[in-house]
Amino acid sequence: MLLPKFELHEPVSIEDALELKQSHGTDARLMAGGTDVLVLLKKKVIFTDTIISLLQIKELSQITQTNDTVIIGTCATMAQLSASPVIQEKFSAIKTACQSLGSHLIRNRATIGGNCCNASPAGDTIPALMIYDAKVMIESADNKRELPIKDFFKGPGKTDLTPNEILTGFKLPIPPANSGAHYIQLGKRQSSEINVVNVGSFLEYDPDTKKVLNTRIALGSVAATPIRAEKAENLLKGKPAEESSFYDAGEAARKEDCKPIDDFRGSAAYRQAMIGVLTKRTLQAAFEQAK
Amino acid sequence: MKKIISLTINDQAYEIAVESNKTLADMLRYDLDLTGTKKGCDTGDCGACTVILNGDAVNSCLVLAVQTDGAVIETIEGLATDQGLHPIQEAFVEKGAIQCGFCSPGMIMSTKNLLDKNPNPTEQEIRKGISGNLCRCTGYQKIFEAIDSQKP
Ligand SMILES: Cc1cc2nc3c(=O)[nH]c(=O)nc-3n(C[C@H](O)[C@H](O)[C@H](O)COP(=O)(O)OP(=O)(O)OC[C@H]3O[C@@H](n4cnc5c(N)ncnc54)[C@H](O)[C@@H]3O)c2cc1C
Ligand code: FES
Ligand code: FES
Repeated sequence: MLLPKFELHEPVSIEDALELKQSHGTDARLMAGGTDVLVLLKKKVIFTDTIISLLQIKELSQITQTNDTVIIGTCATMAQLSASPVIQEKFSAIKTACQSLGSHLIRNRATIGGNCCNASPAGDTIPALMIYDAKVMIESADNKRELPIKDFFKGPGKTDLTPNEILTGFKLPIPPANSGAHYIQLGKRQSSEINVVNVGSFLEYDPDTKKVLNTRIALGSVAATPIRAEKAENLLKGKPAEESSFYDAGEAARKEDCKPIDDFRGSAAYRQAMIGVLTKRTLQAAFEQAK
Repeated sequence: MKKIISLTINDQAYEIAVESNKTLADMLRYDLDLTGTKKGCDTGDCGACTVILNGDAVNSCLVLAVQTDGAVIETIEGLATDQGLHPIQEAFVEKGAIQCGFCSPGMIMSTKNLLDKNPNPTEQEIRKGISGNLCRCTGYQKIFEAIDSQKP
């Protein structure tokens, strides 16, 4: 399969990349690991005559930790994230999500920013970022802004980014003590691209009252974008941290939060049933970790 | 427009002019005649094009050749020496892990990368380590046995 001809820019600083994006606008396609872009170009799903690669911008692939936050650069790869000590210790659901994406060959190239900007409803890292309450960091030549990740997705393949903007990274608050999280994806072949459903859950509980203080549940592959299961979250807050509450939350997620469709990967009914099961399971595992 | 890049492939230095829209797999096969690296799908699904790029196994069909300027690359051609086949290649032959052979270069490069990083993998780690490489002949069991035989 031939790639179309294009001009490749490889800026070494964010400023240069933003300037290029400013002057080329929608004509230029940003590229990180290229595992989506190159496939889509080969299949002639997308077209461009200008590619701006972000891989030479060193700071975009860094993972940095301050007192209460971790910043993940947009170009951090799945392999890099799963091997990072701070991700392993504090954000284990992100580690699990990164290890669920593609094969080890793909994971050596695929970036977390690319996964989000590709905006697939099934994207593996998205629910994991959502449950840790990540903010996306966005820059253009003349502006910087941050946005809660749940507001970043606008539809399949669509994000809140304007043509001049680049996603530079994710800002994540370090989770409190007595909290835990878990991510599960259900697919057909472990190393192939698309999930049938994927669910992440975060849970913080009070060790004295044994009640759920806070929770975030994110569902993938059951709507036009990954979504937060807000009905289930609200139901669970304040409830005793135990199996029956997790079951009830799963039922709420299944009946009220998700609106899946039938497609060749799975029926809507199957997806809906699995949302119930996986919500309960991820909550249970999050609780085990929180204890 | 072509760009001149320099890189090291199998311990040999190369300087070559490549178009920006050429993949690493195509440069290896068509410009450098290193046809041991295969192309099955050209979209990252099959792993036939696996090479080791700066110490990590990747799908060379999803890497732009121009972006390998300065890189160190290992391909299947780099494994055998004057003394004969590489031990992993010997094991694949020995255990019947090669039938048509189309997946073998990629499978062996994934194996090499796995064992370079983790010389004593568990069964799960072996199976995961080659999960990006499809084989339509062997059913994987003999490939698993070949890799398993390489543990210390
Ligand atoms: C064989 C195979 C298996 C796969 N399996 C999975 C899987 O299991 N789960 C999964 O979720 N995905 C999977 N994918 C899809 C893909 O690998 C991931 O989405 C990956 O994370 C994309 O990252 P990338 O760096 O390669 O993105 P790229 O291809 O470089 O970019 C993806 C999109 O994001 C845009 N973009 C990239 N970076 C930025 C930025 N900083 N700012 C603004 N826009 C940006 C690009 O313009 C493009 O539209 C698979 C792909 C293949 C080929
Ligand atoms: S040819 Fe590259 S993965 Fe199939
Ligand atoms: S031996 Fe034929 S595809 Fe693996």
